[in-house]
Amino acid sequence: MPDIIVKPASLKELWKTLPGLPAARRYLAGGTDIVTADNAGVERSECWVDISDLPELAGVEETAAALVIGAGEKISGLERSAAVRRWCPVLVSAIPHFASPSLRNMATLGGNAGNASPCADGVCALVAEGAFVRLELKGKRRRLPLKDLFTGPKRTALRRDELITAFEVPKRRHAGAYLKLGPRSYFGISKAAVAVAAELERGAVKSASVALGSVAPVPLYAAGVSAWLAGRPLSAGTAVEAAARVKAEVSPITDARSEAEYRREMCGVLLERALLSLAR
Amino acid sequence: MKSFRLACTVNGERVEREVVSSRSLLEFIREDLGLKGTKEGCGEGECGACMVLVDGKAVNSCLMMAVQLHGKDLVTIEGIKGKAGGLHPLQKTFMAEGAVQCGFCTPGLIVASEALLRRKPRATLEDIKLELTGNLCRCTGYEKVLSAVEKARDEKNA
Repeated sequence: MPDIIVKPASLKELWKTLPGLPAARRYLAGGTDIVTADNAGVERSECWVDISDLPELAGVEETAAALVIGAGEKISGLERSAAVRRWCPVLVSAIPHFASPSLRNMATLGGNAGNASPCADGVCALVAEGAFVRLELKGKRRRLPLKDLFTGPKRTALRRDELITAFEVPKRRHAGAYLKLGPRSYFGISKAAVAVAAELERGAVKSASVALGSVAPVPLYAAGVSAWLAGRPLSAGTAVEAAARVKAEVSPITDARSEAEYRREMCGVLLERALLSLAR
Repeated sequence: MKSFRLACTVNGERVEREVVSSRSLLEFIREDLGLKGTKEGCGEGECGACMVLVDGKAVNSCLMMAVQLHGKDLVTIEGIKGKAGGLHPLQKTFMAEGAVQCGFCTPGLIVASEALLRRKPRATLEDIKLELTGNLCRCTGYEKVLSAVEKARDEKNA
């Protein structure tokens, strides 16, 4: 564990504190990834900055155009939010598959994104929702499409000390589904996961966005199949062809959890099932 | 900093003490407070043997740092008691149903079950199964655990 942990009371205090801290430092949010990594001897920073109680990162707020989800909000808090249930059907569908109930009482979406694992369930769902991520560094703010935050396994476009403060999900009426294939029904890391958001109109897909977990170096936004789905009838034929197309967009690997070819095949199966579930 | 002044409540009592920054919540509970009911199983959040309640919610104390408890309310297995200070209804039903074998997972299972029944007094069998996905037991095969939690629920609602 790190020798030094600091716990600033506000963002303002955080920016003031940082320059005096050891260079080898990381943010501590829910702890479910970073403390595991430390217990396993992989994470060895000298200093952690505890952001888990920062008031600026808490809460879920509705603006005219978006739902703004605080990066420090616990996953279990989102489960209970009426606004999240209304505007984020993909995320709502993903939450029961996000780790276990007690880990959902600790983990945050900010940590899920900052950790940048290709299997992050919360992130995959938010990418399909078309979310933007709000970042802040010493009072300077910027905003990125969430899909552009990830540059590789466990690598992000975050600058040194830059903090994820919130996620913006555009408010639009849409249907959503999240299907995850793991070693068991609940509480496992996915072999493959598919997130789909779609605006539907009279039995047709007006627009769609498809994101996939554990089948690429990053939580993958499948731009090709997402664009292809727009304007098509939501039918069994469409689902079958979308399944064939998505298999060409993923780049899974063989590792301890699964095999590349099985994962590729399952991306098609899961997308087909997810699309058909929206038609019901 | 290298240590900090931690103020919190532990099983209903105010606690204030100097704690080393590198302490996990689990180490704080077992080593600093000397409360040995909370166990370390995997240290990865997989097994649930270290489960405690923080502000009424079940968390894995092996993945939380002590500093994160500041200003909050902690209940460990030692703080889960019956009304007159005797055995808690869940402890009684776990014994009656034979839901305890080696006992290592039992504190975590009781903490998780208590969190569920507080939040959802009429939890269904499915609710109980889902709530306990983060608690591993290698002895009982879970059937007796599930019937113990159902029995405690029924007694609570009787």
